[in-house]
Amino acid sequence: MNNSAQTQSIDPALYATATEAIRAEAKRVLEAGTVAAVVGWQAGRRKGSALPAIVTDPTKADTLVFSPACVNNLALYLTKAKKEIRQKGRLAIVVKGCDLRALVGLMGENQLKREELHIIGVVCPGVQGRGEATMAAKCRECAVHTPEGTDVTVGSLPDLPRFTPVESEELARLEAMTPAERWAFWKEHFARCIRCYACRQLCPFCYCEQCLCDRNRPQAVETTPRPAGNMAWHIVRAMHLAGRCAGCAECERACPMDIPLNLLNRKMAKELKELYGHEAGFEVQEKGPLAQYREDDDQSFIK
Amino acid sequence: MCDHSNNIYLPRLATIEEIVDETADIRTFRLVFQDETVREQFSFRAGQFAEYSAFGAGESTFCIASAPTRKGYIECCFRAVGRVTEALRQLEVGDAIGVRGPYGNSFPIEEFFGKNLVFVAGGIALPPLRTLIWQCLDWRDKFGEITIVYGARTEADLVYKRELKEWEQRSDVRLVKTVDPGGNSPAWDGRVGFVPTILEEAAPSAANTIALVCGPPVMIKFTLPVLERLGFADSAIYTTLENRMKCGLGKCGRCNVGNVYVCKDGPVFTAAQVKAMPQEF
Amino acid sequence: MAKSISEQNLRLLIDALVSEGKRVIGPRAAGTMTLYGPLTTGEELSPGELPRRSAKECFFPLCETILAYERDKEGVRVSDVDSCAIPETVLIGARPCDVAAAPVLDAVFSWDYRDEFFLERRKKTTIIGLACTKADDACFCTAVGLAPNDTKGSDLFLSPLKEGGYRCDVITEKGEALLAAHGPLFADAAAAEPLPLAEPTLGKLDLEKIRSWLDLHFEDPLWEEIAERCAGCGACAFLCPACHCFDIVDEGGEKKGVRRKSWDACGFGKFTNHASGHNPRDVQPSRYRNRIMHKFKYYVDKFGERLCTGCGRCIRACPVGIDIAAVLEEIDRKGARD
Repeated sequence: MNNSAQTQSIDPALYATATEAIRAEAKRVLEAGTVAAVVGWQAGRRKGSALPAIVTDPTKADTLVFSPACVNNLALYLTKAKKEIRQKGRLAIVVKGCDLRALVGLMGENQLKREELHIIGVVCPGVQGRGEATMAAKCRECAVHTPEGTDVTVGSLPDLPRFTPVESEELARLEAMTPAERWAFWKEHFARCIRCYACRQLCPFCYCEQCLCDRNRPQAVETTPRPAGNMAWHIVRAMHLAGRCAGCAECERACPMDIPLNLLNRKMAKELKELYGHEAGFEVQEKGPLAQYREDDDQSFIK
Repeated sequence: MCDHSNNIYLPRLATIEEIVDETADIRTFRLVFQDETVREQFSFRAGQFAEYSAFGAGESTFCIASAPTRKGYIECCFRAVGRVTEALRQLEVGDAIGVRGPYGNSFPIEEFFGKNLVFVAGGIALPPLRTLIWQCLDWRDKFGEITIVYGARTEADLVYKRELKEWEQRSDVRLVKTVDPGGNSPAWDGRVGFVPTILEEAAPSAANTIALVCGPPVMIKFTLPVLERLGFADSAIYTTLENRMKCGLGKCGRCNVGNVYVCKDGPVFTAAQVKAMPQEF
Repeated sequence: MAKSISEQNLRLLIDALVSEGKRVIGPRAAGTMTLYGPLTTGEELSPGELPRRSAKECFFPLCETILAYERDKEGVRVSDVDSCAIPETVLIGARPCDVAAAPVLDAVFSWDYRDEFFLERRKKTTIIGLACTKADDACFCTAVGLAPNDTKGSDLFLSPLKEGGYRCDVITEKGEALLAAHGPLFADAAAAEPLPLAEPTLGKLDLEKIRSWLDLHFEDPLWEEIAERCAGCGACAFLCPACHCFDIVDEGGEKKGVRRKSWDACGFGKFTNHASGHNPRDVQPSRYRNRIMHKFKYYVDKFGERLCTGCGRCIRACPVGIDIAAVLEEIDRKGARD
């Protein structure tokens, strides 16, 4: 097992090849008029940085890149929270395997139509964690390096070592806690929340036009960054995402206060898998387990 | 701040003395400050606004709708559309609300002395002009002709119905009231048509005249060209802007239009000033 | 007048201030990050890393109660908060990019109406700034006219020395008083060599040119180009030392509760939303434009200061990689072309 997972250890040529292929495909579809815009990544000012890019001009296709900094889940830009982008017309999107799960989930929720998208998949050896050359935790246990069901897939996968898992160990530690310890754990983390809503704004599934937490008639959740409201907000969000969250970990990455939000979502996902055999984002499915009732649903929790 | 009067966010308590339902969802409160000193000393100028508290729900921003010349009370007029206004609507005569203010600039009434005035208002936007109308009527000899063009969607949507009657009966005021086509009953004795059209027909002279316009954005949009055709200069047209506010004190960062803070540089602006702003309101 | 203070004595100074009953705020380790927080002993001071959040919360807390109300059969009673309870404070080890924001914010919190919640804390706080010796590629204080050893806002100013310890410059009378009260901990400044200062890499920006460009380009394709990707969160504003927008809300029930003032952000979709549903800044580019305009034009028009000290926090925190320094460089270039 490899404990010092470094994105730097991956051959830069792999990213370069994927970059070229993305540019070529973007140029092709934009020139052909198949799509009005390509949602991808471009390099940022800072060395080794990247940011989401929305390219409409074929001559700008060569600004697109794929690098270890291409962390953002671009599915966000296809949701109705980003109406202005959808209004441009038919869209192409560059996705990693993990991002694709969000797209599939959104299709299941009738937010997107497969036939209206041109999906450029990129085989991904892993992207970087926050501000470092180390590989993001989610990539160390990635099972979707190669996106399936795309219109075109670029890039190739190097031989990757088996990385020391971080996410599953974190989850195991959480599960080993007593309920009281777990409560204390989350209480401490949520107390740090400053209510910047980066978690919500970056989440492809937080596309509600009227978030429960912005409602004030009646007010369901206090809006000020104080322990009770913070706890309520994160619990509401976790429940709302259970069975829908596709595990992209953008909430956790976006959090300026380092709250392990994805851990909460992963715990919920694990429960859903154990209880209902459901895993979000693998097939287009109209209703998740928490949105439907079946006779054979597990009822052991009713005592 | 050990001196408690220094908390600028602290409202003064006022008791609701009278409630008037202007329309199905627009309500007037007559408010009397509980503290006697405040009651005697509170003064404001027409055009200024205040922050009104429904404790437990928060604060909302409205103009002071009564005239500065009427002492001992203030009035506000609101439509129940949000959390605070819904809460205010639940209150009854005798209940207390909080009032912070007066804030903002005001109509430069002294500059209007000796001039004719044309008031143009639509719907719920009469209150910010009504304060000035009454002040002008209380000081009637300081002004020339006073014309009021006021319209709403339907008869039922007209606010201050009793006062409209009073203005109608006065010989020193010309009131032109109107409702949108289809908004009138058979008994309607006013005009039928949109405010800008009716204004154009009423054709007040622009000579030595100030126009004061308040209404929904679409009404303002179509009224300004009419005033221009009638010969009004942009500097002779006044309006008020309403933006979402929290503090009312130039701090919370919400109400700015470009570098203009509506809460402090406004809410009263000339059409010339409004045209010079970024069109983001 | 320059003095010096050893590393050990600096920590003893904190101990002394704490024992005098002062609130001492400084960079301290907080889990995975460093935050400005109350120090209980000098040992807790951890000046190595730039705190994740700025020092503005020393004067403008994330959330504070501004009044309390109670309602019963007798009527409503409103009670003020006891602001005499705001303690004498020493902010120590704050970076120049954080400290410089404090006097900039004095302007908005004191024009005409004085926000004593902010100003009382300012009055009761003595600031010991610390020269910065470590920049990363998000830092750009020098590009916006500040410096890693800028003393703007500081009462005393520490410069780390190569041999350990600090040179201590007295900037204001307030600083002088603090130093005089703890004279034995300080020595006369020897001719010691300071550690080299941080060197942010971004070139100097022409802020006047940027402002002139902003004057003329309220409408410009740039806003959409940059802000299409903006997700509309408040991370940038909340981490910024100079962003000062806030919300006022009532929390509690009908019978009893408090009114609170808490950080808000102009990037939030509902920030300017009217109860009627009308929203003057209804798309993200118009909200991002307001952010830049407010910092580099509106505030300058009003108060002659800029709401940016180049600390780089928004750049590090932006989850969609929006880089305000790159935006300013772009505007600077455009300004040159116009």
